[in-house]
Amino acid sequence: MVKTDRSEEITLIGDAKRLFHENIREWGMYIALLVIMIIFTITTKGVFLSSRNISNLINQTGYIAILAIGMTLVIIISHIDLSVGYLSGFLGAVAATAMEFWHMPAPISIALIIIIGAMAGLLTGFLVGQMKIPAFVATLAGWLGYRGALQLVTMHRGTIVITNDAFNAIGSGYIPDIPIIPDIGIFAGVHKLTLTLGLLVIIFYIISTVKLRNRMLYHNFKVSPMHLFILKVIFMSALIGVITWILSGFRGLSWTAVIVIVVVLFYHFIMARTNLGRHIYAVGGNPEAAQLTGISVKKITYIVFCSMGMLAALSGVLYASRFKSATTTAGTLFELDAIAAAFVGGASPSGGIGKVTGSIVGAFVMMSLTSGMNLMGIDISYQYIVRALVLVAAVVFDVATRNRKKT
Amino acid sequence: MVEKAPVVEMRNIKKNFGGVQALKGVDLVLHHNEVLGLVGDNAAGKSTLMKILSGAYIPDEGEIFVEGKKIHMASSKDAHKQGIEMVYQDLALANNLDVVANVFMGREKTNLQLGQIGVLDEHYMEKETERLLDRLKIDISSVRLKVESLSGGQRQAIAIARSTAFDAKVTIMDEPTAALSVAAIEKVLDLVKELKAQGNSIIIISHRIEDIYQVSDRMMVLRQGRKVCDTKVTGDIDTFREHVVAYIVGARDDFAEEGGKQANGKNR
Repeated sequence: MVKTDRSEEITLIGDAKRLFHENIREWGMYIALLVIMIIFTITTKGVFLSSRNISNLINQTGYIAILAIGMTLVIIISHIDLSVGYLSGFLGAVAATAMEFWHMPAPISIALIIIIGAMAGLLTGFLVGQMKIPAFVATLAGWLGYRGALQLVTMHRGTIVITNDAFNAIGSGYIPDIPIIPDIGIFAGVHKLTLTLGLLVIIFYIISTVKLRNRMLYHNFKVSPMHLFILKVIFMSALIGVITWILSGFRGLSWTAVIVIVVVLFYHFIMARTNLGRHIYAVGGNPEAAQLTGISVKKITYIVFCSMGMLAALSGVLYASRFKSATTTAGTLFELDAIAAAFVGGASPSGGIGKVTGSIVGAFVMMSLTSGMNLMGIDISYQYIVRALVLVAAVVFDVATRNRKKT
Repeated sequence: MVEKAPVVEMRNIKKNFGGVQALKGVDLVLHHNEVLGLVGDNAAGKSTLMKILSGAYIPDEGEIFVEGKKIHMASSKDAHKQGIEMVYQDLALANNLDVVANVFMGREKTNLQLGQIGVLDEHYMEKETERLLDRLKIDISSVRLKVESLSGGQRQAIAIARSTAFDAKVTIMDEPTAALSVAAIEKVLDLVKELKAQGNSIIIISHRIEDIYQVSDRMMVLRQGRKVCDTKVTGDIDTFREHVVAYIVGARDDFAEEGGKQANGKNR
């Protein structure tokens, strides 16, 4: 039932070209990440791609990536949230205070700030959804308010050092290894559990993509040709394989990485497969239409900002535990990094479009730039300019490809 | 007269917006399997009346009967329950979603429900959408196309199809031919005929009599919040249009109901 032009050359290159044109936005992002990584690997003589640096990069990206996930949803419903940077810093400081001064165990402290984060999100949702205050203004107020709150919490000593080891492990710890496999041969000095997990992910990935392809074929969907499909599966499997191999060379998978993966999978599932995700996209695409079909725009606004607040709390946990402390400047400009990550990752400034997975890639693009330029010893002022250019390029690319599609 | 109760009857509907009386006591009857054209100038109250019938507005006064039973509607959900669906002028489609997602917007079929969140049953929704479009003879290459890539006529067709997807008894169309090309208008009118052939009752709002003349069984004219004419569609288009336009612009104001139904004059 799908009309495709059969006269087109049926070659690998021809197929690849067509496929590339159809998915240019998504591919552009991955290609950008790949190009950035290759450039930095060359200019740093391989240091960029070293196990230690990649592991570090992932931990560095974690707290921004978590915020970017929530921000993607906010941007999809055509809003913005400027308050989450300081909210994340403030909540990290609250968790630190709870553990250090109120002697609460780590899980309860984390639960406490996630609840506060949810309430902060509901407050934003109330201002934006109920009072109809533009999100920019409402969350700018939050930006000021939470900045003040952060300074209040850290007022007495400036920095709260966190001594709770269980808490600190979240941001700076790694998953344990399997002790029974001996450290010999190629396994010498390698993190076995990470490798095993990587292998499981590859197997799971292959099975699920083949299943998906079969299901799409069964429903007469347009699928990519077999040879390209195999190429894609091999490429993705190799990518996962390389990443796990690099990670297993240092200390294995960090807890931060585990948390980011779990949150991404959860949000991806919600957005792609559930009615809630569909409603969020519908509200972003046409709020009046959504309202008329019985979707409560108000409720969706509450839910999206509430989730944003909870993710800000989680981001605060990752940041505070990574540096084993809460500082007065924690969270500064996180919100802008998260917004940039979402836009680089394909979210549309006009709403309705964006993917959680895209924003994660966007976060890695931005953080790779920082990390690579740091390794090269490039001055921070030039770093900002380069990142600005990348952000502009991403949005220009987005607008250009979208306009082309319409004509 | 031994006849089934009309599918919709609205009696003495009044609605104020601030100090403005948008509707000053309007009656409306829609019979089974009938196409009613609702015409009038801008601000005559056509859309307001239909928004009341579709549950988007609550009237200040008046009663609504569906198949003889008096009902109260507080939201469009209530109207959906009564089988009344409205297709809005601005289409009310989400361009960022595909045809399937738009047809099922707000009423997604889910399995594995957990509270209010459920996993979408894409397979079911896709098959249903295909069946629906087939039944209405709407030609679209794939139901997985995003709505933004469709033409204006196709979008109007999707919007109309959606309104009939959930066992609608009554479909209300607000200016379905506005901003469409001549060819697209033909398509939409064919769709209206198809719906009527399948037993639907339809109300079409329009200020272009030419467009809806060929599909309407009856036309009702609103002017400044009052019903000023209610007439069977007969005769050739030119004389009929002249007849109706006189009421639309207020050149004539001598209306009395046809066919010996109860007089309507007391409202004025």
